[in-house]
Amino acid sequence: MAVLEKSRKVVAESLIGQRIPKMDAPEKASGKTRYIHDLDLSGQLHARILRSARIHARIKSIDTRAAKALPGVHVVLTAADLPDQRPIGVAKDHFPLKGEVVRSQRDEIAAVAAESVEIAEAALKLIRVEYEDLPVVADARAAIAPGAPLIHPPRQGAPAGAAVAYTGRPDNVAMRFDYSHGDVIQAEADSDVVIEDSFKLHYVTHCCMGVSGVIAEFDASGYLTLYSNTQVPFLHKREFAEYLNMDPARIRIIQPPIGGGFGSKLDVYPFEVICVFLARAAQRPVKLVFTREEEFLASPTRQPVLLTLRSGCKKDGTLTFRTVHTLHDNGAYTSWGATTPFVMMQTFSSLYRVPHCDYHTTAVYTNNPYAGSFRGYGNLQATFAIEQHMDMLADAIGMDPLAFRLKNAQESGEVTGQGMVFKSCGFKDCLTTAATRSDYVVKRAAYRARQKDAGAVKRGIGMASMLHVGGGAKIYPSDGCGTMLKMDDFGALTLITGASEIGQGSETVLAQLVCEELGLPISAVTVVNNDTDITPWDVGVHASRTTFIAGNSAIGAAKKAKAKILAAAARKYECAEETLDLKGGFIVRKESDEALIELAKFIRGLHFSDKAELVMTTFYYEPPSVHQDKGFKGDVSATYAWATQVVEVEVDTATGIVSMTHVTGAHDVGRVLNRLGLEGQIEGGVIMGQGYALTENLMVEDGRIRNPNFRDYKLVTAPEIPAMDVSFIESMDGEGPQGAKGVGEAPAICIAAATANAIENATGVRLFELPFTPEKVYRALHGQTEKLYWAPWKPE
Amino acid sequence: MNQGIERYLAPQSLDQALFALQELGEVTLLAGGTDLMPQAKAGRAKFKRTLMNLRGIPELKGVSREGNTLRLGALATITELLHDPLVGEHLPVLREACDHFASDQIRNAATLGGNINNASPAGDTLVPLLVLDAEVELASRPDEAIYRRRMPLSEFFVGPGKTRRAPAELLSAVLVPCPAPGHVARFYKFGARPALDISTISIGLAGVRKNGHLENVRVAFGAVAATPLRALATEEALEGRQLDAQTIARVAATARQEVQPIDDLRASAWYRQELVHNMLTRMLEHVAQN
Amino acid sequence: MSLKTEIEFTLNGVKRRATVPVEMSTLDLLRDVVGLTGTKYGCGEGECGACTIEVDGLTVNSCLMFAVDCAGRSVNTIESLAGEPLGERLRAAFVEQGAVQCGFCTPGMMMQAAHVLSACGAQDDKAIARGIEGNLCRCTGYKKIVEAIAVAGKATGA
Repeated sequence: MAVLEKSRKVVAESLIGQRIPKMDAPEKASGKTRYIHDLDLSGQLHARILRSARIHARIKSIDTRAAKALPGVHVVLTAADLPDQRPIGVAKDHFPLKGEVVRSQRDEIAAVAAESVEIAEAALKLIRVEYEDLPVVADARAAIAPGAPLIHPPRQGAPAGAAVAYTGRPDNVAMRFDYSHGDVIQAEADSDVVIEDSFKLHYVTHCCMGVSGVIAEFDASGYLTLYSNTQVPFLHKREFAEYLNMDPARIRIIQPPIGGGFGSKLDVYPFEVICVFLARAAQRPVKLVFTREEEFLASPTRQPVLLTLRSGCKKDGTLTFRTVHTLHDNGAYTSWGATTPFVMMQTFSSLYRVPHCDYHTTAVYTNNPYAGSFRGYGNLQATFAIEQHMDMLADAIGMDPLAFRLKNAQESGEVTGQGMVFKSCGFKDCLTTAATRSDYVVKRAAYRARQKDAGAVKRGIGMASMLHVGGGAKIYPSDGCGTMLKMDDFGALTLITGASEIGQGSETVLAQLVCEELGLPISAVTVVNNDTDITPWDVGVHASRTTFIAGNSAIGAAKKAKAKILAAAARKYECAEETLDLKGGFIVRKESDEALIELAKFIRGLHFSDKAELVMTTFYYEPPSVHQDKGFKGDVSATYAWATQVVEVEVDTATGIVSMTHVTGAHDVGRVLNRLGLEGQIEGGVIMGQGYALTENLMVEDGRIRNPNFRDYKLVTAPEIPAMDVSFIESMDGEGPQGAKGVGEAPAICIAAATANAIENATGVRLFELPFTPEKVYRALHGQTEKLYWAPWKPE
Repeated sequence: MNQGIERYLAPQSLDQALFALQELGEVTLLAGGTDLMPQAKAGRAKFKRTLMNLRGIPELKGVSREGNTLRLGALATITELLHDPLVGEHLPVLREACDHFASDQIRNAATLGGNINNASPAGDTLVPLLVLDAEVELASRPDEAIYRRRMPLSEFFVGPGKTRRAPAELLSAVLVPCPAPGHVARFYKFGARPALDISTISIGLAGVRKNGHLENVRVAFGAVAATPLRALATEEALEGRQLDAQTIARVAATARQEVQPIDDLRASAWYRQELVHNMLTRMLEHVAQN
Repeated sequence: MSLKTEIEFTLNGVKRRATVPVEMSTLDLLRDVVGLTGTKYGCGEGECGACTIEVDGLTVNSCLMFAVDCAGRSVNTIESLAGEPLGERLRAAFVEQGAVQCGFCTPGMMMQAAHVLSACGAQDDKAIARGIEGNLCRCTGYKKIVEAIAVAGKATGA
């Protein structure tokens, strides 16, 4: 805070690197925050959705007469009522309400809007559906086998270039990704050691504590307001307009505080469009909120992957090549999960210096739940394979795995085979810091020596590292964000940003960055970030981009405001602008920090003059990154984040229980902006990684989710968390806001891979399949697992 | 919506409650509600015509000592048992099980009687009570007087959710003999968490220590059959035998043979048998060393 | 229609009446009948703790408790913590220690934290973690929540 001494000198500490509490925390900790579940509009109806009783079937008939006749029911809709439905989703391969065929357990068949949830539920029970079962494809390998039943069979008569929902597919392949640099065949011939293994990555889901919900309301002139949990309001506005055959200018999206995101709200889901259909038909506001069971059944999952990795190196520890084949199970429809190869191939091609790399993904349709985007976006899966191979290659040539990693680690200035440019790179610092603080080298040798000792409980230590975009990701032609800044006559700021807040603390970091430029305390700022009618454009909260992109945008707006203020002050005090500065709520002389005038007073003067000038600025920031070319090459992010995590475990060999005791992390974050918020992101991500590694498992059998509840879908609980030691490497990125990088996804990425390495260190047994639940570990320790091998399917 | 409840009763005495039960027959009993509410919401339990809230019945509450027997009221919550001095002194193995029971919030609401009547094969208090030779007391009022019968807990369970309680009866208390000097008892519940977990298996072990062996041995298992059960063959293999490595190995092998668990989403039958073997071994080694 | 019954109970220190369907949960009573939305629905099965309230001095999952069972009892929700010394200390600690991210678990977590501290006094981190084992949080990884409760506990001098 500013202290004005007798000298009139202003003293104020920088806000950067401080522990600044989240601005909305007091409301949240009072129970006063109104999430979507807590909002009710007058005249509102409640909606419920009837989902398929079958996994794959033709719908023969739907009888809604009894439901429509139930008192309190306003609208019952099926596909037959909506002949103008348009296909939705990343590949436009399904309709919100399914009329002909259901392809998964979650498929939406009918929807009811009624005066209460209870009435809507009772109405669902009165809807009669006749099905004719079709063969179920419950496994990605089965989906690409010759003669496999087709999930979206080709259809006659659709116009060329139409969406999959109209045309179908001649096979079950939804997407393919093929990338390469160098010559892996030659590189393999030149390798001293070559290893190949298959890895199996399972289904997990976001489990946001607040279940999904939406409220749709049309005003008298047909203008739609959506209260939505979306993470990408502006892109969704356009998508909704397309799905609803509306003018996007007549759609407003308001984002009430959200009970967790983690990537789950990147796509438009059927329930949201259905809710709008109901509101349109009922001419009343309609609210649709999931139950927890529905949240499990009808939310996206993390992308399940079968992956075969072939890697080689020379005796001196130089990596030679990698060849990767993955089979992605999309589920019945294509959502963002299918596109995780964009991230996965970066890790394979560029986490370490790999001169030769081939990467191939086939994403296929099955009758399983469909996979979406989830914090880490394919990187947990890729890192799981790579970092196990790093240990295995090191062991194969008798080299310490830390030294092996250091030898191949990227450095600043590197341009990778995929065209990524590492302008700031703290990877080696991450490796050495995490290794030193965890005593990795000594412990690894000691635990290995004790593998055969008596006693059921073994200890192990394992390491893994990651590379992830840290300066946005140019997935769309623009990766930008807009900011508007307004200062009132009392020196209070309104920061209007396109960036969405999903609990990660973006509003606090953005306020901090702006205040740092303008020499104001955080308390001077109000952040507006949740209404597309007010906020400037942005491409959404994903890809760890908000601090970096929205931060640079906010700084840009603040700099313009500052320039405006100082120009006016320079006129008033008849001095050069460059000799003035803003500090502690004052306009000061830069050299001496001598206060000239209180900023608020000065702004009042600006307003109350015959040449009134308002301090309102806008800025749009577009990062200096490029869209990938057709070969997936290009520098897609303005900067990249790095991390190394070391995990220590105890393995009870009599039960297979793996306890995570310590996690030591070192993260290249560019620069620490808000230490409190940053620690929170890292710790939360580490525990999400722990769940992925050890406890969470969405059990999908024959297309059906067996455990849609927290009893059997086990999130980590408080007593299970490891001791966490987190270090920050400040590589001071030249493009980053105050030098910072985006890190939201980073902490979850390495944990499973490091845990696999730690279990191997403890027991001598390596596990290739997640999660490491007690029975799976116990079976592996007793030789009860078959060697996992997935022979990559090669297009002819 | 209509769940079929036509009457709600909150009797204030055992007499009132039993009278109503005798008269009405079809009654859903409510104590803590922690099982009933989710079962009803999920449609796994259907409400009967009368919902009877037992909370107001003073006779069903509290823990007391009657001679050499501890009387645990059916309405005693898991938290009350966890902190009860008599339970702590005489039945530490029950206290241990209560500590692994769900979460604090559920322990504060869930009752002993509810846990027993719910008759889940994985019910957390059942296994320790079995090895403590607990009996259930069932009260009824067929005429003007209250009639109470006792039944060993080991005979009470018929199947998942099914017991020998007659519709007109209330489980009024659990009676547990105070263990003799030298009594040792252990409880193990498998799980990677301290609590908030449904048993994959649980094991109870009790006996009276004499000169390096155990007498009057009781072994019980949870979640390995349709009901929690006493393992008689395993008990026999342990009874009176020197507690050495050979005995422990034989007892554990017997237990693995004796249990006949099923495969479900929480564990395979094979793995449950392995756990029974390995954890009983660990418990017996612990008894032998202490 | 469902059978309804009238109950009288004390809610956040104020006596009140409500008419409720007999199978209704206390969570629905609070949110839909009374209109206090600080108590959250997270799972409806007692597995997540987002709906934690205090009844007669003990915390329970309001989603598992029958509303009729509130009759004659004293019910406190997150809204009752405002102005209470322990509640204010907890709120300050949750804010300052970074224990709040999306905030959806926070009301239930704070109710359980208040119970852990008032029932058992200041505790070590391990005991606090056990105390909140029935409260799931997807954002924070619990560490800062445990630290916040510890700080609030020390501030009580208990």
